[in-house]
Amino acid sequence: MPSPVIETIGLTKAFPGVVANDRIDLEIRAGEIHAIVGENGAGKSTLMRILCGLYQPDLGEIRLRGVPTVIRDPRHAIKLGIGMVHQHFMLVDRFTVTENVILGAEGTRWGRLDRRAARRRILEICDRYGFDLDPDLAVEELSVGQQQRVEIVKVLYRGADIIIMDEPTAVLVPQEVQELFDNLRRLAKSGKTIIFISHKLDEVLDIADRITVLRGGRKVGTVKAQETDRRGLAEMMVGRPVLFSVDKEERAPGEPLLKVEGLSLKSGERYLLRDVSLEVRGGEIYGIAGVEGNGQTELVEVIMGLRRPTTGRILLAAQDVTGLPVGRVRGHGVSFVPEDRHRRGLILNMTVWENLFLGRHRARRLTAGPLLRRIVMLGEADELVQEYDIRVGSTGQPVSSLSGGNQQKVILARELAGQPRVIIASQPTRGLDVGAIEFVRQRLIAARAAGLAVLIVSADLEEVLALSDRIGVMYGGRLVKEVAASETTAQELGMYMLGSTTGAKEARDHVL
Amino acid sequence: MIGGEMLASAIRMTIPILLTALGAIHAERSGIVNIGLEGMMIVGSFWAAFGAYHYGPLAGLLFGIMAGGALALVHAAATVTFRVDHIVSGVALNIIAYGTTRFASLSIFDRATTSPHVQSLPAIDIPVLDRLPLIAPLASNVSPVVILTFALVFLTRWVLSETTFGLRLRAVGENPQAADTLGVNVFAMRYAGVIISGLFAGLAGAYLAVEHTGMYVEGMTQGKGFIALAAMIFGNWGPIGAMGASLLFGLSEALALRQVVEFIPYEFFKMLPYVLTIIVVGGIVQRSRPPAAVGTSYERGE
Amino acid sequence: MSYRRRLLELAAPLLALLFALLVGGIFLLAIGKDPLQVYLTMFRFNLSRLDSIGSILYKSTPLIFSGLAVAVGFRVGLFNIGVEGQYFIGALLASIVGFSLHGLPVWIHLPLVVLAGMLGGMLWAWLPIVLKLRRGAHEVITTIMMNHIAYALVLFFITSVFLDTEQEMVKGLGSPQVRMPKLLETARMPTMHGFLETLGIELPRHVYLNWFFPLGILLAVALFVMLWRAAYGYELRAVGGNPAAAETAGINTQRTMLSAFLLSGALAGLVGLSDLLGYFGYLDIDFPKGYGFTGIAVALLARNSMLGVILTAILFGFLRRGAEGVQAFEGVPMDTIVILEGVIILSIVVAVQIVNWYVRRQEKLMKRRQVTMERAGGD
Repeated sequence: MPSPVIETIGLTKAFPGVVANDRIDLEIRAGEIHAIVGENGAGKSTLMRILCGLYQPDLGEIRLRGVPTVIRDPRHAIKLGIGMVHQHFMLVDRFTVTENVILGAEGTRWGRLDRRAARRRILEICDRYGFDLDPDLAVEELSVGQQQRVEIVKVLYRGADIIIMDEPTAVLVPQEVQELFDNLRRLAKSGKTIIFISHKLDEVLDIADRITVLRGGRKVGTVKAQETDRRGLAEMMVGRPVLFSVDKEERAPGEPLLKVEGLSLKSGERYLLRDVSLEVRGGEIYGIAGVEGNGQTELVEVIMGLRRPTTGRILLAAQDVTGLPVGRVRGHGVSFVPEDRHRRGLILNMTVWENLFLGRHRARRLTAGPLLRRIVMLGEADELVQEYDIRVGSTGQPVSSLSGGNQQKVILARELAGQPRVIIASQPTRGLDVGAIEFVRQRLIAARAAGLAVLIVSADLEEVLALSDRIGVMYGGRLVKEVAASETTAQELGMYMLGSTTGAKEARDHVL
Repeated sequence: MIGGEMLASAIRMTIPILLTALGAIHAERSGIVNIGLEGMMIVGSFWAAFGAYHYGPLAGLLFGIMAGGALALVHAAATVTFRVDHIVSGVALNIIAYGTTRFASLSIFDRATTSPHVQSLPAIDIPVLDRLPLIAPLASNVSPVVILTFALVFLTRWVLSETTFGLRLRAVGENPQAADTLGVNVFAMRYAGVIISGLFAGLAGAYLAVEHTGMYVEGMTQGKGFIALAAMIFGNWGPIGAMGASLLFGLSEALALRQVVEFIPYEFFKMLPYVLTIIVVGGIVQRSRPPAAVGTSYERGE
Repeated sequence: MSYRRRLLELAAPLLALLFALLVGGIFLLAIGKDPLQVYLTMFRFNLSRLDSIGSILYKSTPLIFSGLAVAVGFRVGLFNIGVEGQYFIGALLASIVGFSLHGLPVWIHLPLVVLAGMLGGMLWAWLPIVLKLRRGAHEVITTIMMNHIAYALVLFFITSVFLDTEQEMVKGLGSPQVRMPKLLETARMPTMHGFLETLGIELPRHVYLNWFFPLGILLAVALFVMLWRAAYGYELRAVGGNPAAAETAGINTQRTMLSAFLLSGALAGLVGLSDLLGYFGYLDIDFPKGYGFTGIAVALLARNSMLGVILTAILFGFLRRGAEGVQAFEGVPMDTIVILEGVIILSIVVAVQIVNWYVRRQEKLMKRRQVTMERAGGD
């Protein structure tokens, strides 16, 4: 049996309010692909951050190739041969691939950066492991999959033989995932050890040799990939048998409440949206799938009135709202859960109750002349806190003191309390823990049951498939495909997301 | 209307703006907004006059550079270590610079607003160039600092794009977190960027006092520190671009110095550089692209 | 907990003040003065004389307005460094209305003059905010440039357009002042002496405390109510806290920013009026500069609280009056006060940061202790 290259003994790390890692014993062998799975909040990321030197454990020991080792910081980790590929890429967009790779490990000749030697070495690495990468392109011109390759090359360039990958597939479409897996297998074959963090069971079963399951900060066990299956892993992860589908009753859709016709948005010479048409009916959830940056954000912003379309119309229950400001669009009964809570959803330095009325504060019952009726508002805020189970000591606390899940509930409560007819939700469950995810999804399904038209945008294909009645795929600013959710698969959607149909190709040509 | 003498004057007026703009590029490329450059010019001009008065012009320039750097160190501590708002810190430093300079001038020279006359560096005639027609007025009787400044433009460009230091400086201004994970010391790089900006602004102030005027006069910087920021923006955060923009501002200041048209009051010429600055930041900024992380403070996780 | 928080919030300004006095002390030492002696003289001079107290309030009057102007800007997320230029233009317009409109009763003329001042401030705030909203030009650079332009413009109007050439002078003494014509009596703001006498307070005649001081306090209270009780104030704070989120929620951020910045400009327009209408009675080339910058220190030290501005403005009035005292009795240059202002701005923001860190660490420690206790109980 190969000897362990990394061993942890009783590794423990606590944060305010939570023990993120609780006495974890881990053993990873040289040359294997070792997956670490668990739900959000199970402690995967903390464990990885300890291994790459970002966190120091409170208790416990790390043995590297049999030697007890303190990993002081990421720089030290890389010296020890441990490299990390973060979920959110750590790249300088404006730099070239070469510049990104050499940053922090530059070689010079006569005081001048030796770009040529670096370039040669990068090409060597790409050659050896079969990566397709142009070292002279700026990172901002690369696709997400290529950017991830840059991250891997960065680690290899520094001579790492242990590579930690944090949720590497979260940003990739199925086809790109396959390419990544091919690359990882080649790396493992040549002797590199790969630690692969994920919560996607199918992928883990596909790529890993062995799998360690974490739950609630503790290790549940380590199993061989060949000796387990999806159901077994899921039970280990959650601690009970799991239902994979979301319950949602059959429902005949009603009148179209939101209609988008021939919407285009141009920025300079570039089309961000091109001739997008869709309609969402009452009692229907319409999901928009697509690799991020293919126009989803712009589509939602145009519908909400945050941006003005170049051409096209937006109809709410047959009323034209094209070009109206956000306040007026909302006045027609549209609610919006934005993709980035902190950027567009909340005013972090204001209180919970103030955030609960943002945009609704001018309602007649809440004002007396130019003044606000605080007592009425505070009362209603307390009711919402009850109804949406927002965990907060007092609504007078700043909203920044809440956890991410509770912050999302504040937004959801605010947006649904206005009794909308249409709700638009972008990435409604991103970054939430399991309990909050379930809560949010239930609320969206309840909105559907109540006859609302629901438009969701999600990068998570499983979520789109589980929630939606119909799905539209966006690529290059176009809606390239529209299907019923019951008649498609993640694989098929992934194909359209990459623009691999003729229609999609055309769209790309227009963009470029 | 615009003859060789006018151009020579324009170049003299360009130097303090250009030097400060070069400094600003270092600070902003590292991610720190330095609106305190005006104050760094002020202390530079006063302490340069002080140094030149006592120990000669060269020492004066060094005093000015050091004074600018010292004030920049405070800005670096405030913005990098204490992570306070870059603009608030810069404004405070401008006020401190103004106050301490008056205070020092009063205590040292017994006058709040001027220093005694000081010696300048010997002027240089640039060989060959000073004999060409047209260029001659630009190339003869030139302060060495003028030549140094234009050399620094190209040195800055080389350092930023071709050295490890430059690569790292730009990296922390674009994505400090990425740089940090790769072992680049974000704090050190940002301190360096800010301090260099102070040294440049200090030299700019020193040039004004020792080389240009031959004494320190209160208010002699006249907002050049802010105009330099506009020049940096106009030049799209690059040294060559900043040089072009500074020449434009220098020309407008040269015009402001001489009333070239009889029937337009002197005050309106004085406004010219400021109006130009507003036009630049109001009209042209949109096409330029600042460093991605400029104006933000970096905090390590946990 | 919240009681402790309140206390900590007060800690930052106090810490900053203490630090500033310390730095001031170092400067005093550098010129061979005993800082303790100087500060003691300042206190004695300020607190033992009625004229000092009146003078402190008089000196704080423009600072209340400039502090409010800056604070309103900060509340909506904009840095108005242009208060300086705005009050110069305000004073210019007020002065023109003040000397040119003859034959009006005081109750029409005086309000007109005040409105002209506010209009001037708004006018000078208008271009920077429009350039900001339309073209993305940073208001800090544009307002600073507007300050320089305002100085030059006011100089131009004083020397070339409205120069008063019919000045009465004591025969054979002095040269004519470079100034605009004197304001009419109907444009002058009355002092508070008469009112104070009815309260039994005999304020010496050489103190110019006038009705702009109570007006400033009223304005601060009104702004406080607007900010925390009115729908508009709520929107203003929302836009200042996170413009993108406010916009997404349907608040018209552009309009809010525009109106709040113009409000800031209008307040700035009042800054110079206490001096102009209550003391000088004319606009000349030596009209006091720098209130706009001091307003930044006033606002920051008050943590942008409208009511706090009253206190910090009076504090700065105290320092300024004290500076006069120590200049006279201890031979310390008045400019020490400018240094103190700058140091206060810097140290208040640093102190706030330090207090925040301290609070966060305490909370972290408490939570961690809770967790470990829960675990100990659970296992």
